[in-house]
Amino acid sequence: MPIKNRLAEMHGQITEWRRDIHAHPEIGFEVTRTAALVAEQLRQAGCDEVVTGVGQSGVVGVIHGKSTESGRVIGLRGDMDALPILEASGVDYTSTHDGNMHACGHDGHTAIVLGAATYLAETRNFDGTVVVIFQPAEELGSGAKAMVDDGMMDRFGVQEVYGLHNMPGLPVGEFAIRPGPMMAAADEFHITLTGRGGHAAKPQETVDTTVMAAQMIVALQSVVSRNVDPVKQGVLSVTSVDTASHAYNVIPETVLVRGTVRSHDPEAQDLIEKRLSEVAKGVAETMGGSAEVLYQRHVPITINADEPAAFAADVARAVAGDVSEAPLIMGGEDFSYMLNERPGAFIFLGNGESAGLHHPEYNFNDEAIPAGCSWFAELIERRMPSA
Amino acid sequence: MPIKNRLAEMHDEIKGWRRALHQIPELQFDLPKTTAFVEARLREIGITDITTGIGQSGIVAVIEGQTNTSGRTIGLRADMDALPIDEASGVEYGSTHPGKMHACGHDGHTAMLLGAAKYLSETRNFDGKVALIFQPAEEGGAGGDAMVKDGLMERFGINEVYGMHNAPGIPVGEFAIRPGALMASADQFDITVTGKGGHAGQPDTVIDTNLAAAHVMLALQSIVSRNTDPIKQLVVSVCTIMSDTDSYNIIPQNVLLRGTVRSLDNDLRKMAAERIEALSRLTAEAYGCTVEIDYEWGYPVTVNHPDETTHAADAAEVIGKVDRDVAPIMPAEDFSYMLEARPGAYMFLGNGDTPMCHHPAYDFDDEAIPVGCSWFAELVERRLPLN
Repeated sequence: MPIKNRLAEMHGQITEWRRDIHAHPEIGFEVTRTAALVAEQLRQAGCDEVVTGVGQSGVVGVIHGKSTESGRVIGLRGDMDALPILEASGVDYTSTHDGNMHACGHDGHTAIVLGAATYLAETRNFDGTVVVIFQPAEELGSGAKAMVDDGMMDRFGVQEVYGLHNMPGLPVGEFAIRPGPMMAAADEFHITLTGRGGHAAKPQETVDTTVMAAQMIVALQSVVSRNVDPVKQGVLSVTSVDTASHAYNVIPETVLVRGTVRSHDPEAQDLIEKRLSEVAKGVAETMGGSAEVLYQRHVPITINADEPAAFAADVARAVAGDVSEAPLIMGGEDFSYMLNERPGAFIFLGNGESAGLHHPEYNFNDEAIPAGCSWFAELIERRMPSA
Repeated sequence: MPIKNRLAEMHDEIKGWRRALHQIPELQFDLPKTTAFVEARLREIGITDITTGIGQSGIVAVIEGQTNTSGRTIGLRADMDALPIDEASGVEYGSTHPGKMHACGHDGHTAMLLGAAKYLSETRNFDGKVALIFQPAEEGGAGGDAMVKDGLMERFGINEVYGMHNAPGIPVGEFAIRPGALMASADQFDITVTGKGGHAGQPDTVIDTNLAAAHVMLALQSIVSRNTDPIKQLVVSVCTIMSDTDSYNIIPQNVLLRGTVRSLDNDLRKMAAERIEALSRLTAEAYGCTVEIDYEWGYPVTVNHPDETTHAADAAEVIGKVDRDVAPIMPAEDFSYMLEARPGAYMFLGNGDTPMCHHPAYDFDDEAIPVGCSWFAELVERRLPLN
């Protein structure tokens, strides 16, 4: 059973949806047209319930199986938003919204979940309930959180959640997944070191912030080299150093040091945040100054629970014949907010030799559609088998 | 005999010259109005041996004494240039050149040398020659160096040189001087550290320029703490740190370190430059980076010769109170080039309780005119006495 026959038949239809969405990319939470298209198709497909405006502009569709004796409810998630990129793909269904582009394949993800929903609403060969989730603002890192905060999991009784992302470089229609951490948390820090500014020829009257910054940058290296467990992953990078003045003869009053922390392990992430602040403040105080540390967390680490990940891999193996182990990715994904709420898994779907994600020449590969749809459908039919 | 009577009589005339010069401030070597004014006054006085265009726009005028059995020539120097500052002194003879201002009192220095010239030309009570040196571009343009390189000392057979600078904070009518280093050298540097920029989440694929720059900065601290004789004076300050990105997720390709070196000892100054080069290059190399150093030599240390300092102080003592051991100051002065070429001394002349030099509300105090003129005249008559 590589691809479900019915989904193979629907390939042309789903491709049309995908290209329609591609031609009308929308940004962030402002996904009005896309959400309307999704809601309309869900209704036409005969979903039992279609709710719009979840998490501002998310859409949720509910499909009951032939029976619901299992009492189980599984969420399948797609993301709808595009990027502020000027498209250069050259396709004849290219963006008609100048400056916006589906450069991350969310058009494909949405079409795939829509295709699976249409198939599941038609066949209903499962015992339980499917909740299809279409979220806005994945690229802002806040759409999934908005839906979760809007009570989505409880309102629709979702017990497990699954999602996918296309992956350039992986052959079309093939899958890759790993249990545990898969995508990173990407945090930002902003350290303002304050000393006492003054004339560069009178160092004794100043508290030199440039020396303080240098000491701190060197001392921060020990956080990863000495504090983080060597078998875990963490990156602490200082990316920008900027003195408050750019003169040759003035010791600046303040120096701004910016950077990022990437991690795949929540304990490592907590530890790095704590040590970063301690080291910055400690070095600053040692040099007679002070440090103000702003540490901003963005999307959490994307962590696949072990059992759902193994199950998702089994399903993918049934669809594609084989599954490879996904590499740890240092990029982030806001589906992590849903995985923090409910068990589930995130899987990569091969997009072939395309341009990279977020590249102006990138395009989602429509040949991946049947595999993606089949994975979602098979997952439901296996997880909640009809009696 | 505090003030020479003849110079007291000339006070108003010289004050008129000073205020005329104050109204036409000009910058660097571009002094057409100022040099025309100086030349016209010298000719009125009756001086015929006038050479213009030395060191681009400098003027040298020679006055012969009643006799010249000594065969000696004393150089007296004044600077003519102003600063790019909007005047806010509120005086009725304020700058007529918007954005330019005599905020360092060079108008006073020039007027006093013209006054001394008139007196010396009238009286000629000396055995030898006086070379009046009017120099351009003291404020950062190294006009003193330009005149020396143009053969000033050899062409006019100058044996000794003297100059003075007005000093806010010292009472009018008083003097201050010291043998040895009086004013600092001021050099500046740009160290560009180049690594390999890239994604902050992939530290193994980059060469971290920020880290290498921090190590360079810390290494520079050892120049003062470990390489400098503890009883001598040296300052090495890094004033600016600028990575070429202000992002949170990019390791920059380049980081610029900008700073200054101040010293009261020319050997230390050379040592500092060598150590900055070696420490920057080797430290950066240790981290896989390269450096490019743009080292700009500024004015050398202003070093008063001991015997000439005594002559200068003895002449001043006839006129007013003299501090013979004033503390050295960190600003730099390009009369230092003339003191490197010939023995001589530089004197501070009290300007009273005025704003500091280079302040928009500063003004030269005309009451100091007879004091300064008398010092020049007395110095010549003492160093070249008639038989």
